[in-house]
Amino acid sequence: MFKKALLALPVAMAVGAAAQAGEWQDPNDVLQNLLQNNPDSKYLHQSEMNIMMMPDNPALWLVEEGEDLFYAQRGPNNVSLEGCDFGKGPGELDGAYVELPRYFEDTDKVMDFEQRLVHCMKELQGFTSDDAAVGQRHGNGSDIMKLTTYIAHQSSGMAWNPPLDHPQEQAMRDAGEKLFFRRGGAMDFNCASCHGDSGKQIRASVLPQMRDGQEWTKAVSWPAHRAGHDNVRSQNHRIRGCVWQMRHAGIKHDTPVNTALISFWNDAARGEPAILPDLKR
Amino acid sequence: MFKKNAVAAGMAAFASVALAAGCAVADGSKDSAVDITAMSADELAEHLIFETDSFRDQEMQEGGSWRDRMTQDELQKACSMEGDPDGETAGRVVAMARAGYERPEGGVELGDWRKGAELANSGFGYRQGHNTDDHGQREQGGNCYNCHVFDPRVSEQGTIGPSLQNYGANRGTSEAVLNYVHEVISNPHQYFPCTEMPRFNSDRHQLLSDEQISHLMAYLLDPESPVNNQ
Ligand code: HEC
Ligand code: HEC
Repeated sequence: MFKKALLALPVAMAVGAAAQAGEWQDPNDVLQNLLQNNPDSKYLHQSEMNIMMMPDNPALWLVEEGEDLFYAQRGPNNVSLEGCDFGKGPGELDGAYVELPRYFEDTDKVMDFEQRLVHCMKELQGFTSDDAAVGQRHGNGSDIMKLTTYIAHQSSGMAWNPPLDHPQEQAMRDAGEKLFFRRGGAMDFNCASCHGDSGKQIRASVLPQMRDGQEWTKAVSWPAHRAGHDNVRSQNHRIRGCVWQMRHAGIKHDTPVNTALISFWNDAARGEPAILPDLKR
Repeated sequence: MFKKNAVAAGMAAFASVALAAGCAVADGSKDSAVDITAMSADELAEHLIFETDSFRDQEMQEGGSWRDRMTQDELQKACSMEGDPDGETAGRVVAMARAGYERPEGGVELGDWRKGAELANSGFGYRQGHNTDDHGQREQGGNCYNCHVFDPRVSEQGTIGPSLQNYGANRGTSEAVLNYVHEVISNPHQYFPCTEMPRFNSDRHQLLSDEQISHLMAYLLDPESPVNNQ
């Protein structure tokens, strides 16, 4: 019943095909391949129910809504987002999401996906931080999550491939790796405290291992419908949640610490196909 | 691989080793024109944390600002590597942890295991950001259940740390056991250098009060506790 979202896709579906960089695949097919290739991963297999629900992933509704928003003329400047360059040229969305964060000449810095989207909504459409369109970052009702889900979906099945050619890209990725292992906060945690071993649990949640690319590609595949929240969530929302549990300090939106972490974690899934959108516990 | 038997290793090495982890922020400038490619990865990580306005300006529950909380002490710096520490680092960390430990005056005592059970199963406390824990509203917990199974009858316990089921039943309540468990909860790096387990009462800060720790110890060691009746 959610399948109609897929009809809007510009790219033909490659059903069940092995992961090929550059080739769009239905997110459920990507997941099924991962499951088959990793029969022993507790993390990947932890929720039978979510695996069953995947073909009817509620996040697919947001794909449709996001598409309408993307092409609508909006904001004080009454233009669509077709002029937004996510790194592959204005309006070019195929494969753009899996090649972020990246360096943008117009801002002379490395930007992650959400930061770039907000940049375009402000610069092209004329929204300001006070407008709900960019101010509200979380929840199915937010423009940001609708747009994120639509745009990310255009990269489903493609391999994570954030560029590292520009020296700033390499620098941010390397700093992100340091941040991943940097012990700190009230309880001395780094990211590896919980994501350094396979098959370990925090309460009922089986945790993904960062150095296992096939676990990690699912781990970083956001947007995802989070069943426990009954909402589609972003990479930024996941970072916020982990940092909160870690008893570090709260990270602000669109900041370099956030971007560096994403630069590293997408790099850690390099070469593995993205599940976009995914469905998580 | 070094963790458990590193206690004796390299004790002598601790004072002399310079830390590799850098905190020399390039020039302290907030100028966006700063050249991030000229910094080492360590320098850039510190720069991003302290000079780019990335954190919310909130007051921490233990006192101080986000800056204080995100500033590493020597032990955190020493443990910021991937994987287990080498022998030298392990020895240095154990020495640091021991130097900062103080046994309570009058010795270690067991409190009330019922209160300890509540504390062990509470993840409340010290969280910051979009949803900040107010310690005035509710007592902070120990988060122990996130990582340890104490009592398999309590659902949803983590496995990052070892199961502590029957912990006291297997060990008794001699003074040596009491002292050891108090040392581990206060600062586990005395025995397990660079462990994932937080320090609950160290020279960095006191996350749990002496009384709370005595309740947690009772939950682990009291013969009446459900942990020891399985
Ligand atoms: C105190 C433990 C803890 C720490 C430390 C921690 N996380 Fe997590 N992380 C979790 C838990 C619990 C989940 C949810 C897993 C689940 O529900 O399956 C999670 C989920 C994730 C996921 C998504 C996987 C999924 O299936 O939901 C990513 C990616 C992630 N964390 C990255 C990080 C990063 C980056 C850091 C450091 C900034 C970090 N984590 C630190 C506990 C932690
Ligand atoms: C982030 C996970 C984590 C949390 C939270 C945590 N621990 Fe631990 N704990 C560990 C790990 C891991 C070990 C094993 C030491 C090692 O090898 O690093 C351990 C070891 C121990 C031991 C020593 C076991 C032995 O072999 O003698 C005790 C006792 C203990 N923890 C009690 C507690 C109590 C009480 C709390 C709550 C106040 C707690 N832990 C919170 C991870 C954790």
